[in-house]
Parts: sequence; C-alpha cells; structure tokens
Amino acid sequence: METILSINNLSKRYGRIQAVNRLSLEVTKSQVFGILGPNGSGKTTTLGMVLDLIRPDSGSFQWFGKEPSKESRKRIGAVIETPNFFPYLSARRNLEIVAKVKNFDNSDIDRVLQLAGLYDRRNDKFKTYSFGMKQRLALASALLNKPDILILDEPTNGLDPQGIAQIRRLILQVAGEGITIILASHLLDEVQKICNHVAVLNKGNILFSGDVKEVLAVSDCIELASKDNVRLKAAIEDHPAFHSIVESEGILLAVFSEDVRPGDISEYLHEKNVTLSHLAERKRTLEQHFLELLKDNQS
Amino acid sequence: MKLLTIELKKILPYKTFWIIIGLYFLFLALGIIMAEYIVNAMVDDVNKRLPIPLPHAVLFYFPDIWQNLTFFAGIRFVLIFPAIVIIILITNEFVNKTVRQNIVNGMSRTEFIVSKLQVVFLLALVITVILLLVMFVLGIIHSDSQSMSMIFSGFSFVTGFFIQMLTYLCYAFFVAFILRNTGLAIALFTLYTIIIEPVIYFLLRAPFMWENTVYTYLPVNAVIRIVEYPSIPALKKLMNFQLQDSVSLLSCTIPLMYSAVMIGIVYWTFNRKDL
Repeated sequence: METILSINNLSKRYGRIQAVNRLSLEVTKSQVFGILGPNGSGKTTTLGMVLDLIRPDSGSFQWFGKEPSKESRKRIGAVIETPNFFPYLSARRNLEIVAKVKNFDNSDIDRVLQLAGLYDRRNDKFKTYSFGMKQRLALASALLNKPDILILDEPTNGLDPQGIAQIRRLILQVAGEGITIILASHLLDEVQKICNHVAVLNKGNILFSGDVKEVLAVSDCIELASKDNVRLKAAIEDHPAFHSIVESEGILLAVFSEDVRPGDISEYLHEKNVTLSHLAERKRTLEQHFLELLKDNQS
Repeated sequence: MKLLTIELKKILPYKTFWIIIGLYFLFLALGIIMAEYIVNAMVDDVNKRLPIPLPHAVLFYFPDIWQNLTFFAGIRFVLIFPAIVIIILITNEFVNKTVRQNIVNGMSRTEFIVSKLQVVFLLALVITVILLLVMFVLGIIHSDSQSMSMIFSGFSFVTGFFIQMLTYLCYAFFVAFILRNTGLAIALFTLYTIIIEPVIYFLLRAPFMWENTVYTYLPVNAVIRIVEYPSIPALKKLMNFQLQDSVSLLSCTIPLMYSAVMIGIVYWTFNRKDL
C-alpha cells in the first residue's frame, strides 16, 4: 500500500498543556481515516502541524514518502476549522485565487462549484453566504482539481441537520471516487458513518487505532463463553460471517462482518453441539468509553 | 509574476482600497490648493508694508513643481493614507485567516512575505508615476519657455519621493505583520506618526537643543525629511526656510536601513510563529 502521510513522534506543547504527545500514525492510499477525539484532544493541532501552519516542537512527518514542502501541499485539499475566504470577493474569484496558488488553470472551478451546489450563487460575494454555503465552498475549494488527499477538520461543526447531511453526502461521494480522506471529528457517529480507519485521540495521545469495524464495534460484537472455549472458538471461526475473535479472562469476544444477533449465534452453536455458559451482546463499549473520555475532559 | 497576479486578484476588486487611494489624492489636491492660497494671503499681507512687493507664489512651474508636489505628497497627514492601505491589505489576511489558506494551498511563508513586499513596491511605484504625470501636465501648463529648459533639474525629488513612499510603506508592512490586527495596527501607526514622534522631538529638543541630531534618526522623521521643504521663493524670504537643492543620498539611507531591518524581523518571526 502506498503511504500518503506518515507521522513520527510529533509533539507540540502550549505552555503547561501538552497538546500533542509523541504522536505517530500512518495513512495509506484510499483510506478514509478518522481522527476521533473530544475538543482539545489535539486533532486540530496535529492537522495544523502536517499542513505547516503550526511549528512542531519535535518529531517529523512525511507526505507521499518525501519531506514536506509547498509542492506536497499543492496535492492536498484541506478544510481547516472555519472557511477562510475574502468576504468581498465572489465564490468564483476566491476559487481563482486558490487555483492560482496551486498552479492550476480555472477549468475545474465550475465543476467543484456545481458539486457543492453553489454554481447559481458563484458570482455573489462570500460574505452574503450562509454558514452552510461557506462550509461547502471550503469543501469545493479543497476538491479543486481532484487532490490526492482531502483533509477535513470538523467539517460539519456548527451546521444545521440539512447542512450536515449535504456535507456528509459530498464526502461519501468523494470517498467513492477513491480519494484518500483524513477526517477529524469529535462525533463518534460521524466517524462511524464515513470512515474505514480510525485513531482515537485524547490529551494528545492515541488511545487506539485501526479498522473502524474493529475499534468501534457496535452490536455485531458478541461475548461468548463455554466449558470448552477451544471448541467454541473453532465453531465461531467456521461461521460464514466471522470476522475476528479475541479471548480475555475466559470470555471470547467475537466480531462479525455483518449484523448477527445473539439468538442466531445460539441457534448456530446449538447445531454444532456447543453449549454456552455465557452469551451477551456487547453494546457500543467504545462509545461508552468515548463518552467517559468526553466527561473526563469536561470536568 | 505569479505572486503579484494573486495579489492583484485580491486587491483590484476591493472597494476600500480604491476609496483610500482616492482620499489620498483628494487630500493631496486640497492641500496644495490651500497651501497656495495661504502663502499668497501671507504675501499680500506682507506686501502692504513693503515698498517693493513680493511676487505671488506659483507652485506649478518647472523645476520647482517637482519639489513642491513631492513635498506635499510626503507630509505626514497625507502619507499616512497609502500606509493604511498596506496595513489593511496585510492584516485582512490574518483577520480573514486567508493567510492560513494560502499556506495550506501550497504557498511557502517566504513567498507570502515576498508577495506583500511586491504590493508595497508596486503601490509606491504607481503613486509616484501618477504624481509624476500630474506634475508633468501641470508643469507644462504653468511654465514659460525659460523654466521649460530646466525641466529635469529637480528630478531627484521624484526619486526621493519614491524612496520616501517605499520606506514608509515598509514600516506599515512591518506593523501589520507584527500586530496582525487591523484596528490596532492603524491606530498605533497613526498615533506614532502624528503624535508620538513629534512629542519625542519636542521632549528631546527642549532641554538639549539637539535639533538636527537624534530626531533625524527617528524612523518616520527620517522618511519625512527626504523631501524636507517646498521650493517657494516668497516663503523662503518670509520664514527663513533653509534651501534644499536636491535629495541627498544620505537622507535616503537611514529609512532604507530601517526598512531592511524591519523586513528582516518580519521574515524571522513569520517563519517561526504558528499561524
């Protein structure tokens, strides 16, 4: 797999607060990579550093396997925090500036404006736009001339439900075209809906990272136990929807690649002559964990 | 050229830019008309007591027009307008956070600084050229054949004015990059130019009588003194004005050195600070 971004031990401190602490991660081609964490967990600081806005205290990062440069940034489309444009210029003129900075001609501007649903308002000044339109213009600007990677920092923050739906539809559309995406968000639900990989961040540290289905397993994660766990494990591994299994303190934690109900499993194991001593649907354990993190952070 | 094209895309549709530049030329024109009126009123007043009357002041004949118009275009209250334009254009980037977007989109920080310096240079050049054309036309209208023969003898004032404008705009560039806030930068810059430096002058001069030493080296004063006096013969007699035949190279060096240091500080801090 081609590596798009690799971060090695990146750190940044603001006074007494360690915003990012020896953070390392790797994003490969065609991943939709979520960075999930509560506000103040270091998401924006991390993205700011890899986009050359914030100077890291230590550590390094590479884009496309090379040292970062202005040329590598030209292959990145990024929406950072708030949409940043000249209020007195029209959407079109603002995008002409973006195109010029990135050394593109103006031929792709109409396409991205149409994609963002702003074509009819393209000649209106940016300051006349609603917040949702501003955010979509930011996305349009990031998508100009199909970047190799799209970076989105809280792209739905502050939007109404309709605006959120519009942005998410756009992101999924882009992901469908095979563009690599990094999405920072404090919304578990958003990361689950959009991403296939995730790193969970808290207080500048990565708590865990990996495939979204494994890390953020929801109802298709089932706890099992029996007198003979070896036989049980073998039986589960034969299940057609089997994905992965781990054992911990006499309890097996099974993940299935599609929605499998505990009742189905019970029936399935019964046919295989395995008697269960424990069966439970492990509901949103990580969401609970994540919510606790949020609580810790607020208190 | 690419960086300048980007800057022009930002500047040319910007109404505030045209309004303030328009105000600069408006105040300049009003200032010159009023100056001529006041000088002539003074001359009329004095002439009542003189057996041989002084001639009326005409500001617009060659070669004096070069010195007169560049003098009026360079006084504090007028020079501040283009500086405010530069402050607004640069702080806008920080206030709208478009500087971040520029960097993210693939501009290097050095390129960002260079693009703003190009605007500073271009604005100083365009104002000088417009002034040059105005002086040329007015000069031709008001000059007789004898003064026409001396048309280029005061041309160093035009070069001096360009340096004056260029360096003063560099100061504005510096203040904008350091403060990053439009209101604060304009307020401090205006306050410094119009009040703080004259007060320093007053305080230094009163006890020590250091008229031509310390004060000369204060940044804004060094700029103002490049074209220090107008060339109005009647005024010279009335008020014992010193003569200034041409712009001295030395008077240009001090503001140029200040500008170089300021650009250096901007380069150093902007490349290290977070955006």
